[in-house]
Amino acid sequence: MLQLVKDFKNGLWKENPVFVLVIGMCPTLAVTTTAENGLAMGLATSFVLISSEIVISLIKNLIPNNVRIPSFILIIASFVTFTDYFLKAFFPAIAASLSLFVPLIVVNCLILGRQEAFASKNPVSRSIADAVGMGIGFTWALVILSIIREFFGMGSIFGLEIMGDWYPQMVFMILPGGAFITLGILVALMNYINQQRGNS
Amino acid sequence: MENKNDKKSMFNLIKTLTIIGIISGLALSFVFQWTQPHIAEHERQALEKSIYTVLSDAEEYQEVEKNGLIFYEGFDQHGSQVGVAYKSTGNGFQGEIVIMVGTDPRQEKILGISILQHQETPGLGARITEEQFKNNFSDKPFGDYEVVTGSTEEPYEVEAISGATISVENVVQIVEQAVEIIRKEYGSGV
Repeated sequence: MLQLVKDFKNGLWKENPVFVLVIGMCPTLAVTTTAENGLAMGLATSFVLISSEIVISLIKNLIPNNVRIPSFILIIASFVTFTDYFLKAFFPAIAASLSLFVPLIVVNCLILGRQEAFASKNPVSRSIADAVGMGIGFTWALVILSIIREFFGMGSIFGLEIMGDWYPQMVFMILPGGAFITLGILVALMNYINQQRGNS
Repeated sequence: MENKNDKKSMFNLIKTLTIIGIISGLALSFVFQWTQPHIAEHERQALEKSIYTVLSDAEEYQEVEKNGLIFYEGFDQHGSQVGVAYKSTGNGFQGEIVIMVGTDPRQEKILGISILQHQETPGLGARITEEQFKNNFSDKPFGDYEVVTGSTEEPYEVEAISGATISVENVVQIVEQAVEIIRKEYGSGV
């Protein structure tokens, strides 16, 4: 049980996929223009991560080592396609704003990376704990990043106008450059907090 | 002996991938059947909404095919034609832009436009979906349009969005293309 809690907490902070492992950067930088997009992307990726870790951890002994990567990709791609159809059918507005980035979850290295590093070596229960932790870790990172960018770039959070008309929107923040700068500052902040904790 | 083993493992690889492929394919075909009607319904609703937006006087519309192109003719409650809409597609700053253009071919003017699909930058190019920009095209005479900064004075001028020159130019091009097509099929003086 203790092991499960440890696996779960791992992705939240210590090995946060975005701020510590720095993987899955393509969606991280591209879709975090609004908080809504960031949250939707985080949830969609988490869903794919959790379901594929479960399946792969279940059938890991049936897959010959030589074709494990193609097999993982096939399984991941199936879940991604499912997510794509599901969003288009029931959340058309979100599907429209994420557009291309939903199918691109297939090549998100966070997902393949966790299969290779964790699900293919550990039992199902631990894989679920790892996937949920990593998923939440990825989601909160994306939401923080997108809230900051949306706030400075458009003066709103989750589409809610906060600053009013007088606010000079820093359009730069919702362009790619703003993504890199925000990410850099957040990674630095995270390292600083970790250092302070280590010192005390 | 080794050779035989190689063959056996080779067969194993193919078998594994084939089985996974078949199961995935089967599962996805069920998902597709389940979600497809919903997706089609959303698309139809979006299309219908855009037609009634650009032909605001229309009570109902009819799909008409001419020379392989599809037009939407709008009619008011007395059954007389109030305008023709055409779905025009072109390249934007990032990916395709699809615009429904409503026109009155008899009076040779654009009634309104509605952006059906785009992938422009949020906050910049994406502002082409805002009313203020779309109103640029309401009651506009047919012709070549020019993008200008600041307020528009001439009838052929379209107000630019700062930081999104390319998106605006693209929209203008796509609208002009629609006007060209409608003009050709519905001609003046009908």
